[in-house]
Amino acid sequence: MDYVLMKGNEAIAEAALRAGCRFYAGYPITPQSEILEYMSVNMEKRGGIFIQGENEIASMSMLYGAAACGVRCMSSSSGPGFDLKQEEISYLSAAELPAVVVNAMRYGLGDGEITAGQDSYWVSTRGGGHGDKRLIVLAPASVQECADLTYLAFDLAEKYRNVVEILSDGAVCQMIEKCYLPEAKEHDMNKFDWALTGKPRDQKKNKAYNVSYYEGYDSYNPRIRNKLHTMFRDEQRWESFMVEDAEIVLVAYGISSRVCRSAVRQARKEGLKLGLIRPITVWPYPRKAFENVPDSVKAYVSVEMSLTSQMGEDIILASHGDRPLYGYLTAKELPTVEGIIDYCREIQAGKVQPMEVI
Amino acid sequence: MPVYRKPESIINTAGYCGGCGHGVIQRLIAECIEELGLQDHVIACVDIACAFWSQDALNFEFIAGPHGRCASVATGIKKVRPDATVYVHAGDGCSYVIGLDETAYAAVRDVPITMIVVNNGIFGMTGGQMNLATTLVGDKTLSSKAGRNAETMGKPVDMLKALSAFDVEFLARGALYDPKHIDQTKNFIKKGFENQRDVKGFSLIEVLSPCPTNWKLSPVDAMAKIKNENEKVFPVGVYVDRGGAK
Repeated sequence: MDYVLMKGNEAIAEAALRAGCRFYAGYPITPQSEILEYMSVNMEKRGGIFIQGENEIASMSMLYGAAACGVRCMSSSSGPGFDLKQEEISYLSAAELPAVVVNAMRYGLGDGEITAGQDSYWVSTRGGGHGDKRLIVLAPASVQECADLTYLAFDLAEKYRNVVEILSDGAVCQMIEKCYLPEAKEHDMNKFDWALTGKPRDQKKNKAYNVSYYEGYDSYNPRIRNKLHTMFRDEQRWESFMVEDAEIVLVAYGISSRVCRSAVRQARKEGLKLGLIRPITVWPYPRKAFENVPDSVKAYVSVEMSLTSQMGEDIILASHGDRPLYGYLTAKELPTVEGIIDYCREIQAGKVQPMEVI
Repeated sequence: MPVYRKPESIINTAGYCGGCGHGVIQRLIAECIEELGLQDHVIACVDIACAFWSQDALNFEFIAGPHGRCASVATGIKKVRPDATVYVHAGDGCSYVIGLDETAYAAVRDVPITMIVVNNGIFGMTGGQMNLATTLVGDKTLSSKAGRNAETMGKPVDMLKALSAFDVEFLARGALYDPKHIDQTKNFIKKGFENQRDVKGFSLIEVLSPCPTNWKLSPVDAMAKIKNENEKVFPVGVYVDRGGAK
């Protein structure tokens, strides 16, 4: 199979089309606009619908309608735009409609910056909208993973009738790398028993709205709890890199994890045994990755492009707080290999204190 | 001799207040769809306000919410199921206030859906607050207890006039205060469904409709208010009929 050179954003868009996505609606925002642009060029060629929405809310409302009809559908945004999608993410979740949304993180509060960041972890994993729900959140760290995880996202969304988020960042979505694209497949929008098809008078009609309203809370509550638990149990994904004999384990996802991998290799050349746990799903958080961490490991370091640690809570939960947790938090700057190694040496020298996760 | 009977699409009662116009509009929708033979392929969009109850009453497939987004939701549905008859039944708060943007851009896109907007001049489901687009100057509501003050709250807007600037298929306003006007309203709604059947463009029919509960009037007085007050600000009739010429 031949590889192609693509931007992360383009790989997400192309993988979505190959997964059978036939509806896209979105609104431009840096650094993810290439997804929208790619869809504007290529969606109709595959027989699908592309709509540039007048805003995020309208785009997501169109998606809500399309998803209810059984079409594989996707939208994408970043930071401030992703905030606006929360209303419909809640409605999609209430109606248990499968959909894929991309959040290419940019750094900062308010308008923030248009450059890479990782401070939308909470809005993604803790849920920005109202009500109890969870999104499966996949965090690619390469262009290849942009393609692979997007392709997977549609299957997971359908399997659980749940919204799945691709949590990329301004670096991963803008970088160009080689990528092997998945095989194109078609999706049958009429295969579901829950979808709106416009059924004739003698057939039972479907309603797209809060499933709880029709099912009743007595049945709905335990069923949804079970669904969330099942997703949590079965969909944890991660990569452990040189953890077996590590003294300090870095924990990082997305762009930060790539620097961490280099730092692990470099540190070991210098005699410092670092390891890396790289969450691929940040919800469900890969707690299993922390189950058999060897006794040689004396500390965890969360490496994030954020002002305060957003992932730290999850590391403490996953590890039951069994080791000190440090934070190498680089805010709007990318972490560096040298910076990470120096920080770990300072940990060993007792010069820095464990992080207080606030 | 004509036989008058309930449309077969009405399979249940709905939870509207006594004297409410929503039930009449819901019936007109059902009658029009059946008379045009469209009832076997319908997807309806309702707001999560008073029109919501329609999904309990009619034997169609429905989608509800989010508040104000009906025109966008219907756009998404019509794009992926173009053969289905897709209509919106929503209020003036949904369509003209929180969702004006969605309504306006469905019109800009000229999506061939049929949108029925209930103008009752008030926020009904939430208990009777002012509607920025349709509450008349001087009308008392829970959030304009001394009456709507034009200087501080602005004046109501004739959205059909505003939407007339868009290149759409059909815009009309009807009223429910007497049988003659109910018949006229039905003809407008039917035209809206014919336009969709014939793959023309965006059709929006606004209906002046009573809300006796929140107006704090008897049903009869509420009808009189529409005739004597609301219709003066919101004249009934056809605003745009492009006639299918693209």
